[in-house]
Amino acid sequence: MENLSSKYGKTLNLDKLTSYCPGCGHGTVTRLVAEAIENLGIMERTVSIVGIGCGGFSHHYMDIDAIEATHGRSPSFAIGYKLARPDNIVFTYAGDGDTCAIGLGDLLHAANKGMPITTIMVNNTVFGMTGGQMSPTTLEGQVTTTTVGGRQVPHQGYPLLVPEMMRAMPGVKYLARESVATPKAIRKAKKSIQKAFECQIKGLGYAFVEIIVPCPTGLKMKVKDSYARCGNEMTDYFQPQVFKDETEQNDVA
Amino acid sequence: MKNTEAFAESLARCGVKYHFAYPITPATDVMKRMAVILPNYGGEMMQMESELAVSSALAGAACTGKLVATSSSGPGLTLMHEAIGFMCAAELPCLMIDSMRVGPGDGDILGAQSDYYVATRGGAHGDYHTIVLAPSSGQEIADIVPQGIRLAYKYRTPVLFVIDGVSAQTTESTTLPDYYDYSAEFDTADWAFTGTQDHPKRALITGSYSHQDGFDMNEKLRAKYATIRENEQMWEQDQVEDAELVVAAFGIHGRMCRDLVFKMRAEGKKVGFIRPISLWPFPERAFTALPDSVKNILVVEMNHGQMIDDVRLSVNGRMPVHFLGKTGGDMPMNTLAEMIAEANRILGE
Repeated sequence: MENLSSKYGKTLNLDKLTSYCPGCGHGTVTRLVAEAIENLGIMERTVSIVGIGCGGFSHHYMDIDAIEATHGRSPSFAIGYKLARPDNIVFTYAGDGDTCAIGLGDLLHAANKGMPITTIMVNNTVFGMTGGQMSPTTLEGQVTTTTVGGRQVPHQGYPLLVPEMMRAMPGVKYLARESVATPKAIRKAKKSIQKAFECQIKGLGYAFVEIIVPCPTGLKMKVKDSYARCGNEMTDYFQPQVFKDETEQNDVA
Repeated sequence: MKNTEAFAESLARCGVKYHFAYPITPATDVMKRMAVILPNYGGEMMQMESELAVSSALAGAACTGKLVATSSSGPGLTLMHEAIGFMCAAELPCLMIDSMRVGPGDGDILGAQSDYYVATRGGAHGDYHTIVLAPSSGQEIADIVPQGIRLAYKYRTPVLFVIDGVSAQTTESTTLPDYYDYSAEFDTADWAFTGTQDHPKRALITGSYSHQDGFDMNEKLRAKYATIRENEQMWEQDQVEDAELVVAAFGIHGRMCRDLVFKMRAEGKKVGFIRPISLWPFPERAFTALPDSVKNILVVEMNHGQMIDDVRLSVNGRMPVHFLGKTGGDMPMNTLAEMIAEANRILGE
């Protein structure tokens, strides 16, 4: 008789109930990451380095070694890890707050170093775990607990476009933005996540995937409405696309 | 060779494979030397973009169980404390060198012993300690690095070597150790994060998911630190058995104490010295064991008085504790003549 493990494999830990809020995009992204690891057959040599925030829970649902790094520092942790164990697969998984607020410096230098590590940045345009404060990716006019009148560009700047910043870096070999707004978008996200891991397996260089997701709790929206926002305002600004794909190069590992 | 280079050579010869650092005077020579020699040992020095990134990469590499190190100076050590606290909580072994300079703020590049507080009290949050060792010469660097590695792995904790910037840049003859990987004496298979091919899932979590988790982690650390305090106090002492005055100093001033005691004993003055080698755990046993003949203690430091607190705590009011210290200026430390003059003043009181 088919059970869930025979369908999803061993990487995804199906024994645990997730602590993600109902409707949170992390659930989908976590599953896509686990499926990519499973499909590539790299589970036993893969290590997850997670950040602080809701993304920090992601490793609970995967049967792989995991390190919870300090806030924003997971790319530097990953660089140290990869240097010491180059044959292992190491990826960082964190939200927009961890990745591109406190961790932007570590992130951009990790990308620029071009070491073969993989970063999954889950962008819901808000600090979720701490209760809905402004993030660097908060959209213009978006109301948060720290932008009660909506984000004002003259005071708080523009929503940060992270892959656009990385595009010019030669060390970045796979660079994409995806979303989980629709089933079709999820299928594309799955492909990009898998490619980001393939990039590392081949030893090509740094791989980065930003995933646009809803946060019904942080945005105080109904799940349905938050998905509609994800597929409209969010992806209007954070446009899903594959910026760079050099994964078809010859295996240099 | 320079003592910074003696550090680099000793680290590499004792098994360090990976070194992460950011340039800062007067520690930079360590990373420069490591960049040259580590490839010969199958390792690598990686220059990072900041000390935050340095200590984070250090922690990431330490997770694999391999022997890793960093080197910096006061302002860099300040930035590194986020990950130092993490490594203490995560129980990750590593080696760190702090070549101390004048502070606070950006201070001055001249050597000092201004980092005693931040080294022994810690600059990160929470109840934690790092083992702190203070060599006073090139030879002691070569001799103490193996000991530091064994302590780091035995207790699974960061070990910090502190040296004043004057000693760090002193050039002197040093006999270096033969190659031997001291970390290989310790089995890391039961804790290292190497992938699940040879163990079930491991998760390194230094935060707590229940209040009991946080309590348990802290109690485990408390017990470990109590064991270290009990077993790992290190110091050098001489002529204290009948001394009326004991001079206490670490690092370069501690080294000068040998001359001080030799000269003053030659004049018939009953002076001895204690040179703490481990600054944490502080060698309080050296002070509690002092004979009743000791009427005064003089603490000499290249700062405004930091280790003196630990000396006072150790003697617990048994005798007066005096201080002589200087930091900065063209000569950032007290001379031997100034030390002897102060010792004579105290003896004459």
